[in-house]
Amino acid sequence: MGQTKVKLEEDLVEKAEKLAKLAGYSSVEEFITHTLESAIAQLEEGGDTEELKEKLKGLGYIA
Amino acid sequence: MKLWSIKLLGKRCRTPKTFWPFLIFFVVLVVFPTHDQALAYVGPGAGFAVLSSFLMIFIAFLLAIINLISWPLRYFWRLLRGKNAYKKARVKRVIILGLDGLDHQLTEQFMAEGKLPNFQKLRNEGRFAPLATTFPSISPVAWSSFQTGTNPGKHNVFDFLTPEWKAYLPKLSSAQIGNVQRHLSIGKYRIPLGKPSLKILRRSVPFWNILSEKGIFTNIIRVPITFPPEKTTGLLLSAMGVPDLRGTQGSFTHITSKEDTSNLTGGTHLLAKRVYGRFHGSLPGPPNPMVKDHPTISLPFIISSNGKMAEATLELCGAKIPLHLGQYTDWVPLTFKTGIGVKISGICRFLLKSLEPQLDLYVTPINIDPEKPALPISYPAVYAPYLAKKLGRFATLGLAEDTWALNERVIDEGQFLRQTWDIHAERERMFFDALQNLDRGLLTIVFDSTDRIQHTFTRYLHPDHPANQGRDVFQHQNAIEHLYQECDVLLGKVLAKIDAATVLIVMSDHGFKAFKRGINLNRWLLENGYLTLKESGQGGEWFQGVDWSRTKAYALGLAGIFLNKKGREGKGIVSADQVAQLKSEIAENLQKLRDPLRKEMAINAVYDSASVMHGPYLSNAPDLIVGYKPGYRASWASVTGTVMENIFSDNIKAWSGDHCIDPKTVPGIFFCNKKVADDELSIMDIAPTVLDLFGVAVPAHIDGKVLKMDVEKKK
Repeated sequence: MGQTKVKLEEDLVEKAEKLAKLAGYSSVEEFITHTLESAIAQLEEGGDTEELKEKLKGLGYIA
Repeated sequence: MKLWSIKLLGKRCRTPKTFWPFLIFFVVLVVFPTHDQALAYVGPGAGFAVLSSFLMIFIAFLLAIINLISWPLRYFWRLLRGKNAYKKARVKRVIILGLDGLDHQLTEQFMAEGKLPNFQKLRNEGRFAPLATTFPSISPVAWSSFQTGTNPGKHNVFDFLTPEWKAYLPKLSSAQIGNVQRHLSIGKYRIPLGKPSLKILRRSVPFWNILSEKGIFTNIIRVPITFPPEKTTGLLLSAMGVPDLRGTQGSFTHITSKEDTSNLTGGTHLLAKRVYGRFHGSLPGPPNPMVKDHPTISLPFIISSNGKMAEATLELCGAKIPLHLGQYTDWVPLTFKTGIGVKISGICRFLLKSLEPQLDLYVTPINIDPEKPALPISYPAVYAPYLAKKLGRFATLGLAEDTWALNERVIDEGQFLRQTWDIHAERERMFFDALQNLDRGLLTIVFDSTDRIQHTFTRYLHPDHPANQGRDVFQHQNAIEHLYQECDVLLGKVLAKIDAATVLIVMSDHGFKAFKRGINLNRWLLENGYLTLKESGQGGEWFQGVDWSRTKAYALGLAGIFLNKKGREGKGIVSADQVAQLKSEIAENLQKLRDPLRKEMAINAVYDSASVMHGPYLSNAPDLIVGYKPGYRASWASVTGTVMENIFSDNIKAWSGDHCIDPKTVPGIFFCNKKVADDELSIMDIAPTVLDLFGVAVPAHIDGKVLKMDVEKKK
């Protein structure tokens, strides 16, 4: 699995580590990834309707 | 200022680096030469990673040499590490046999009737108990809790579907297959430069990854929500979430010589033209990722009669495949050419249903070929080809059993059972091969036949089921009993192969109940003023016609209801200070819902998700989880965001059993060959218990408890 290293200030990482534990993340990496993804999702456009529908085709639980 | 380096969670799957399976694969490559093959993703809107077979072979060759040279060093390192890894372990092996959807009540009943002697033996020797499932009681949610030991609020899977917040559209909750961002355009070709991003959306960490980090061997086979496969030092074969070659969750093809223009869910009709007594047509495959607008790549075929009514020959991809009336073919390899030397491999099976007076041929969804996977479906990548070469090709599609072909009556009950049991047999071969090779460590496998057969044959257990009208109610009335007995036979074979130093856990993720009546939650929300349609008054699929500026709540998927929240939904109107009151109001009113036909309450309870789960992903969960009474479920139309005329409707599909109801009514099962002292067991308890058995510390984020299992330190 590919990984990318990002440099962060030490005190920020320490705070993030504490918060990650409190919030129930399995690691500080997961916490930071989630935080970044949430921020990026606010700026992104919605998905293509037909493409999303096509990908679900055949899922037994939905018609 | 000091800087810390943080490794962000990886997103791309990469060819594995090392070890013995790769050596086997290298040998396989030499012994079984392959054609030009692309490592590719094919599906709606996705692109390709262009990696020709020459390059693959070259890399494989290079890595094999490196492996050979470094083998002594690695051998001693692993020996040393392995010795330490098991130092604190109390067991030699843990085997988890997952039987998706095996119902506690039915298991109890069949045991009481003496029909499950091996389960009874396991119960007498160790423990049998209901296993509390997740809120909601849906497989991707429950299996995610199984593998992470956490509640859904910490693993981020709440349903099969999750809303795309801005567009109010559904997307798969477990995996995301992205597009390639950069392309090179040459004429009609649009060549992707790079790999499509593949991302597993389940968060937290599977317990086998924690074990493998400590040097403990793990072999994970077909556990749901393992696609794309995550890196491990063990072996993993992906399951639920793996698409077919068309990029869908499974699309069959129904080939006929008589034009049929009816719409099918989960598949398409295809007309074959009769020319001088032979049938000609083209089998649609994946979209061509190398050409602009991704036209479908099709394979021309000819079907000719052998002069007998019951036999024909299918000419496809240069091969002649014999077709016998009423019999499935073996897996047939298919090669789709993109036009510039890149090929995409798939496999499918054919079932000739009729030759005269009209051709009637069923084709399974085109699965990713495990010998030459177009997408990563195992870790290491060579594990799937290794299994295919050793044991034969197998179904790779996440939900491989074609329930929609049965719903649409393209195949009948007997043909569906044949397909399902064939897939079960493939899985069993993998399981016993892995078990034979497991000296120490963890082996986990999940069988899906238990889930699919109960989904589609539960109507036989209920004479009043609406789906029985006009259908056989006798021929397959013992299908479910037979299913449980086959599981018992499987268990018997496992028991014969384990010793006292092995812990065996047999478990399921949820139980089953009949699905007789559907409830359109969106209609209920409309009638109760929580959802509003535009002036036209017509509601279509995926919330067509919904006026979001006046809608407070909507239902999407199987789990429950979402509030149209400001800051989350694209056109949200519910502010944070209104949430608690609105949730409470909807829950109170919905619990009063009464079925006018059956004259009974339809809902046991409506759960505030914040009261049944917690964690950093809680905001992605449905705000309310609907605990349907057994017999009811979200209607087919409700799941896809369609507002119908009536709240209630009969479920007349073959898909006549379900578990997406009140989780308290559908616990799974737990069997163990060791005594377990705990009174109440949850699916979240398995992960920490296995970690503890191997002497690995349980991380603080895990919600499950370590079960008090009667296991002495191994000698």
